[in-house]
Amino acid sequence: MKAPSNLKLIFSASLFAMSSTALADTGSKLLATGGITSFEGSAGGGITPWALIAGYASQEEINATANVQYLSVGEYQLSTFGAAVGAYDKFEFSLQKQSLDVSSGVVTNVFNAVTGGPTPSIIAPSTKIEQTIIGAKYKVFGDAVFDSNPYMPQISVGLQYKTNDSFDNSLSIYNGAVPVPDTGVPMLLGAKDKSGTDLYVSASKVWLGIADGKNLLFNATARYSNANTFGLLGFGKGEDDDYELEWAASLALFSGTNTIIGVEARQQANRLGGLAKTDTVTDFFITYLPSKEWSITAAYVDLGNLPFQEDTSGIYLSVTANL
Amino acid sequence: MKPFLTSLVVVAALSLSLMGCSNSTMHSSDALQAEPSDLYKEIGGRQTLSKVFGLALTRIYNDPVIGHYFDGVPKSHIRKHLTAQTCELIGGPCKYEGKDMKVVHTDHGITDKEFFILVEYVQGAMRDIGLTAEQENQILQKLAPLKSQIVYL
Repeated sequence: MKAPSNLKLIFSASLFAMSSTALADTGSKLLATGGITSFEGSAGGGITPWALIAGYASQEEINATANVQYLSVGEYQLSTFGAAVGAYDKFEFSLQKQSLDVSSGVVTNVFNAVTGGPTPSIIAPSTKIEQTIIGAKYKVFGDAVFDSNPYMPQISVGLQYKTNDSFDNSLSIYNGAVPVPDTGVPMLLGAKDKSGTDLYVSASKVWLGIADGKNLLFNATARYSNANTFGLLGFGKGEDDDYELEWAASLALFSGTNTIIGVEARQQANRLGGLAKTDTVTDFFITYLPSKEWSITAAYVDLGNLPFQEDTSGIYLSVTANL
Repeated sequence: MKPFLTSLVVVAALSLSLMGCSNSTMHSSDALQAEPSDLYKEIGGRQTLSKVFGLALTRIYNDPVIGHYFDGVPKSHIRKHLTAQTCELIGGPCKYEGKDMKVVHTDHGITDKEFFILVEYVQGAMRDIGLTAEQENQILQKLAPLKSQIVYL
């Protein structure tokens, strides 16, 4: 697994941030109650937001988190980093940058498939698909951990405004020619829009000591979205700009005082179909929280379906620092 | 769609089986005459709770943020009530005879932050006295709902 050099830089920067905040106040909420950072920047599990607000800010505080993440599935590598601010245990704002590296083999195959396979066939270099996600979350009611009603979850609503920065960045082939001008991978695969907004509702509940003395979290998220493959392949299709409902669920078990293990599943509407067919994403994760300053998560993730990628499972690593 | 449903079923089945495990440790807390709960016996009963709150209160009384709330209140008094209350809540042979929780905390403006500071001292004391993470979680399960009778009243 070869991490790009900018990722290393971000990694050392966040390590520096962590060490410099070792004496700072990370906020008062209890360990792990800010969740981890999802790959889209919202506090949650790894692949879906939870109703929890990022960081450890109590009702009187404002705190921030910073994260760097890396996901590698065969010919695809997703590097992502960002930051979130949690205010008054009520609001969350996040900014996340995603960069998906797609190998030369896949780009070549996609190119030849959508252009009808010209002869001689085109050999294209690898490409990057970049996306920026601005997130906001608002806790509507409930307290996942402290509510006196054991069935009452914490409910939050949120949005993720996503801009695909590679929507119309045309691909050049090795001889410098641009066979399809002003057309990026998302457009090639049939996407209609460069940006879109996902809306979601999340319900999270933590039951203390309920699973053989261990704490158990369950989250369900309903997302209303027109994104194709999380927006990495753009938004909508042709004349179809319809939003669809996508569900996600997470179950996490807090083991000991600083380890979480969990399983997650996230549905995707298969809007583009064909090469860009999408399927349910699943993961199994383990998070270690040595202190309230930071946490590290390793996951085994299956992205369901990817163009020209037989085995869609891989490794997902993520570090969140609490500032 | 199909794999998602399968995963959802797995998630649901897991949560049901995990919750099933805990049924044996759930007891009603008002059974003064009944046999004490397993949790109560396992942790070493009232003596252990008294040690936990003794240690936690020493730290709480010295805390720069929340210590002042206890000015002029004898530590032994709080310790006795907290021990009895927790003992009763976890199914031990005790009865909380202190004042109503809401009444005691009303008009003090206790913040969310201050509440968490206190909880962390109690957690820390449980660990230092030697309770396991599982015992700690089960005790906190009984104490957590009290938050609404403490904060911002």
